[in-house]
Amino acid sequence: MLGTDLQNYRTAPFDARFPNQNQTRNCWSNYVDFHRCQKALDAKGVDTAPCEWYRRVYKSLCPMSWVQKWDDQRDEGTFPGKI
Amino acid sequence: MSSMLKVVGKQLKNHPALIPLFIFIGGGATMSMMYLARLALKNPDVSWDRKNNPEPWNKLEHNQQYKLFAVNMDYTKLKKDRPDF
Repeated sequence: MLGTDLQNYRTAPFDARFPNQNQTRNCWSNYVDFHRCQKALDAKGVDTAPCEWYRRVYKSLCPMSWVQKWDDQRDEGTFPGKI
Repeated sequence: MSSMLKVVGKQLKNHPALIPLFIFIGGGATMSMMYLARLALKNPDVSWDRKNNPEPWNKLEHNQQYKLFAVNMDYTKLKKDRPDF
């Protein structure tokens, strides 16, 4: 039972853009891409389900403190990335 | 500058055993400079022109290899899995 549960767990797949040990940019890129995807698909009026992939990857990769900090910055309008 | 080269040339003629030293030191320095140049020009984290090329890591293909030697990673079998938007 534990074995099948373990087999169903997934994590972020290998990303050829970030092949080395430092995955900071991977986390940043997926966070920003998720919000860009949401904004773009909302503007078109389409269902934002494809953006789910980015959300899951950044949730796997990013430290929670970074995500909270960036969410606060987005709410204040001081987020440094371009969304 | 050329007088320095003349002095070195004379020393080499008197001590030809020093020539391999020049070859190896020169080779090492060249390899360092070439790696620095590769980092400056090809590294996807480097952006010289921030206005026209703000995120150079997004220009890599999903199975494009940047590393010089990739052990245990078969880049030909990678599939593209990020959705477009």
